[in-house]
Parts: sequence; structure tokens; C-alpha cells
Amino acid sequence: MKFLAASLKPHGRIFTVFNMVSVPIMTLGIALIVIRFVKGIGSVTNLTQEVPWGLWIGFDVVTGVAFAGGAYVVTFMVYILNIQKYKPIVRVTVLNGFLAYVFYAGALLLDLGKPWNVINPIIGNSFGVSSVLFLVAWHFLLYMIAQLIEFSPAIAEWIGAKKARKILSGMTLGAVIFGITLSTLHQSGLGALYLMAREKIHPLWYSEFIPILFFVSSIFAGLSMVIFEGSISHRVFFDQLSEKNRTSHDGIIHGLSKICAFTLLIYFTLQVVVFAHGKHWMYLDSRMGLWYLTEMIGFVLVPMILYFFSYRTRNISLVKVSALVTMVGVIINRLNVTVIGFKWDAATHYVPSWMEIVVTLTVLSIEIWIFRWIVRRMPVLRDSPDWAKDTH
Amino acid sequence: MDAFTYTDIFDTKGIEYIIVIFFLLMIIPVWIILNRPLKLKARVSRAAGALTAAILRVPKGLLFSKNHTWTHMGHSGNARIGVDDLLLHLTGGVEVGFLQEQGTRIRKGDLLAVLQRDGKKLEVTSPITGRVERVNPTLVENPGALKEDPYHSWLYEIEPENWKEETGRFLLAGEASRWIGEELSRFKDFLAATVHGEGQATLEPVLQAGGELIDEPLSEMDQEVWSSFQSAFLTM
Repeated sequence: MKFLAASLKPHGRIFTVFNMVSVPIMTLGIALIVIRFVKGIGSVTNLTQEVPWGLWIGFDVVTGVAFAGGAYVVTFMVYILNIQKYKPIVRVTVLNGFLAYVFYAGALLLDLGKPWNVINPIIGNSFGVSSVLFLVAWHFLLYMIAQLIEFSPAIAEWIGAKKARKILSGMTLGAVIFGITLSTLHQSGLGALYLMAREKIHPLWYSEFIPILFFVSSIFAGLSMVIFEGSISHRVFFDQLSEKNRTSHDGIIHGLSKICAFTLLIYFTLQVVVFAHGKHWMYLDSRMGLWYLTEMIGFVLVPMILYFFSYRTRNISLVKVSALVTMVGVIINRLNVTVIGFKWDAATHYVPSWMEIVVTLTVLSIEIWIFRWIVRRMPVLRDSPDWAKDTH
Repeated sequence: MDAFTYTDIFDTKGIEYIIVIFFLLMIIPVWIILNRPLKLKARVSRAAGALTAAILRVPKGLLFSKNHTWTHMGHSGNARIGVDDLLLHLTGGVEVGFLQEQGTRIRKGDLLAVLQRDGKKLEVTSPITGRVERVNPTLVENPGALKEDPYHSWLYEIEPENWKEETGRFLLAGEASRWIGEELSRFKDFLAATVHGEGQATLEPVLQAGGELIDEPLSEMDQEVWSSFQSAFLTM
């Protein structure tokens, strides 16, 4: 109890800018969530029968899961390819991924007309095996478990459970392999959700290759988020950083920029091939065509060149800028597929209500609060205790 | 005679094949160019030869002692000790010879290790007093790995006895960066004095036209210069 009480005590300053902005947002957002469940989804959103999926699915779930892709990419590099250079960031990336999936799966509940039915694909009360959502549901559950196992040694170190730590460390590699396998499928699976909506999504964003494009984009989306989050954590949690983390940070960022540059090149080529395959030339001469070109050139080609250039010149600041532009590009792409390009030719377009935006920010803020709570208490950025060193 | 016909490439899969072939042809040179900067930078820096303060790494969280060692205390209470980036840029790639074993008690100023290159050596002394807890196993296996990352490649882990008293005057962050810059200038003066002392007319082998040092200037010098350098720079 004493340990728990001590853990609950706030660390650091209370009246920071982030706290003062996020607390009112969270307060309002929680109130809106209560209203959503009491009065129904229509009371807080602009969703309709024609547009049943909006910002919460398009941003929280589809985009959020893409950004969580850093976990499977980094663990793949460290545990499968044995690139130990990235070992210092494994824990924090897995933590981010775990929290992302927990909160974005949670955000999914907000969008369900009967949230209590979310358990059906798991318990078998009408599995729904013909739906991609069956795959997504199982994958989310299993991946969260895999990530929890991957992160659990840190929890064991925090509470001083040596035996548990040993057992959990032994399970890490298996959980990593399982997690990577799951990720490749559900990252593309989120794209597959939209395969059935051929007539509803603008041809410039719809193709039978959406799953592949979603999977490839999750690689650089996840790594860009790792760069972005790593840069912020490096400054905010400087006192927590181990010496290895501190000195290896720039080298890690530099290495990730190379992978992002190359993956963006592959993604851009795929997009060009898909575009040519679909023979979408006539759509370019339209507002949506212009928007498509803005996305491809401004938010795929340009960050690719920025990453390329920043890697060559070892310019860490430029890497961070590239990461930001890439992340904006991923958000734009996912929203184009799920919201902006969805029913683009309808008489009235879906625009998210302010309440939907507040709830989205609430989910994000709560996630950041929990991330901060964990990082300040558990050995995520700092070294493991001596008794746990020299083991996985 | 048949009328002339043409095939609209945009109406066939031809354009897709062209894009894919172009990508496959491009991928290898792109990968080579992407990897080239690391080698190019080394070649350029060697050709241009500029050893300037701008290329030296001085992590903000480490304490720097004036014998060009750094020290950092971890959460376990043990302090790691290594040598700074400037020293390695001056000497070039060196091999580490460890002189102390785990469990030994050492005092501030005691010999910790030697840095060796082509038969020449420099001695590294301890900036603090304490008991040796660990020797870096990575460097024991690969003594030449020091230059790749001098701040990750610590030499010893020591349980300090008088941490506060002995590190009170060490340098941190901005102070350390400024000191490193000053040491580099002092090294240029040292070189000038050494070269004149040896009767050489010019510093051409170690200075560029603009007066900047080449990287690894000590690598071409003999043991006598290394010994003078030891006295001038590595003694506390």
C-alpha cells in the first residue's frame, strides 16, 4: 500500500503548460463521453447512417494504429535483425505502442452503437468471421497482450519481482515474434476494412492495394512517431535518461531517418504504380486531384527528400522536421481514405463536430498522462536495476 | 496499306511496367548514394582535414575532467569513466590496454589504461578515487572499438569514495564545450611549439592552408611528441 501511495504521488511540477491545457480538455472530454453513452452517439457527433465512421475511427483508430507501428518495426530490428544500436529505445517504443493500441481500441468503443457487443468476435456470440473486423478485433487483443508481455519486465523491475522478471524476460522473444506477425496483418487489415467501399471512396484513394499501402506506410509512420516522441522525451525526461540513451540518441535518430527515407521511396513508387494501374489521370484535373497531388508531392515526396538530405548531412534538426511532415502526411492520407475521400460526392459532407475533436484530444491527453506516469516511475528510459542487468 | 496506328501507353499496362523497371534500376544507385554520405563525410573531412570544435561531441550530461576523461554516475551509485572525443580525434584510432582489475582500489591520478597506436602510447589516469567494479567487456574483446563512440565505450565502472569533493570542479554542459574549444586552440599552440622545437620549418603536415588542424594530427607524430602531449594535456 505504501508503495502504491508513493507511486501515486505526483512527480515534477504540477502547473506546467501541458497540464494546464490538458486538464480542462480532459474534464470536458470525459463529460462528453458520458453524454455520448447516456444520450447516444448522435448527441455528440455529426455521424449519420450515410457516414457511420468519422473522426474517431479515421483519426484515433486508423491513424493512431499506423503511428503505433514503430513498436513492431523497432522490435523487428533489435530482436530479429539484431541491430543492437536501437536497443535503448525498445522499451519506450513498446510502451507507446501498447498505450496507443489500448486507447485507440478504447476509442473504438465510442463509435459502436452497442459497445457491449465488442466482445462478440472474441467469445463467439456471432463471431462475424466474414468481416475484416473479426481479424482486427482478435489482432488488437492479441497484440496488446504481446506488447504487455514485452513491456512486463519493466513492470517487474519496478516492483522488484526478480523471479517474475526472469520468467517474463524469457517470454520476450516469443512475444516479439508473435507481435510482428500480428502487426503485418492488422496494419494492412485496417486498409482492408475499406476494400468493400469501392463506390464510396474517391478513386484516387481507393484501390485494391489499400492494404499494402497501409502496411508500408505504417513503417515510416511508426518510425517518424518514434523520432518525434523520442525528441520530446529526450528533452522532457532528460533526468530519466540512462547514459546510453543520452549518448546514443542522435545516432539512433540518424539511423531511423535512413530507414524512413528508403521506405518512403518504396511507398511513393507504389502509389505511382497504383495510380497508373487505375488509370486515374482524368481525376487530377479537379479539386480532389489537386488535393491528391498535394498529399503525394508535399507530404510523401518532400519528406522523403528531406529525410534523404538530413541523413546525408547528419542534420538531426532536419530529421525531426522530416518526421513531423511525414506524420502530417500520414494523417492526411488516412483521413483522405476514411473521411475526406469518403462519400466525397455527397450533397452534404461530414465535418466532425467540436465535441468529436475534444473527445479525440481527451483520449490523446489521457494517453500522454499515463505515458508520463509510467516513464517517471518505471525503468523505461533509465537503466534497469543492477540485479536485472545483463539479461534481456 | 494499313493506316498508321499507335498504342496509347497510358491505356495499357506499359506505363506500370516502365515505372517498376525504373524503380528497380534506380534502387541500387539510390541505396549506394544513401549510404555514401557517411564515407564521403569521412573522406571530405580527411581531404579538407578540418578538426574543429564543431565536429567534436560533448554530451551535456557528462562531467569532464581536465585530463580529458569524462565521468558519469549512474543510478546504482557507480560512476563510469571514459576518454573524451577530442583526445580520440587527436590520436586517431587507438587500442586500449587496461591496467586495473575488478576489485582494485584506485586513487585519483592512478593509472587506469594506456591508449596505444603504432607503438606509441598515452596513459589515462583516474579522475576519481574508488573501487573498480567493472571493466568494459566490449572494449576488452574489441580494444579498437573506442573511437566509434567514446561516450558509449566507457573504460571502467568505479564505486567512488569522494564523489562530491573530487568532481566539484569538473566541467559540465556549456562549460565543458567551451573548455574543449580552448583545449583545441591550446593544442595548436602546443603543436606549433613542438614543431619549432624540432627544427621543422612549417606545420604544413598538420595544418591546412586556412590554419585548421587536420583530423588525427598526433597519429603521424612520434613517441616523443606523444610524451610531451601527455605532460601538457593529460596530467591533472
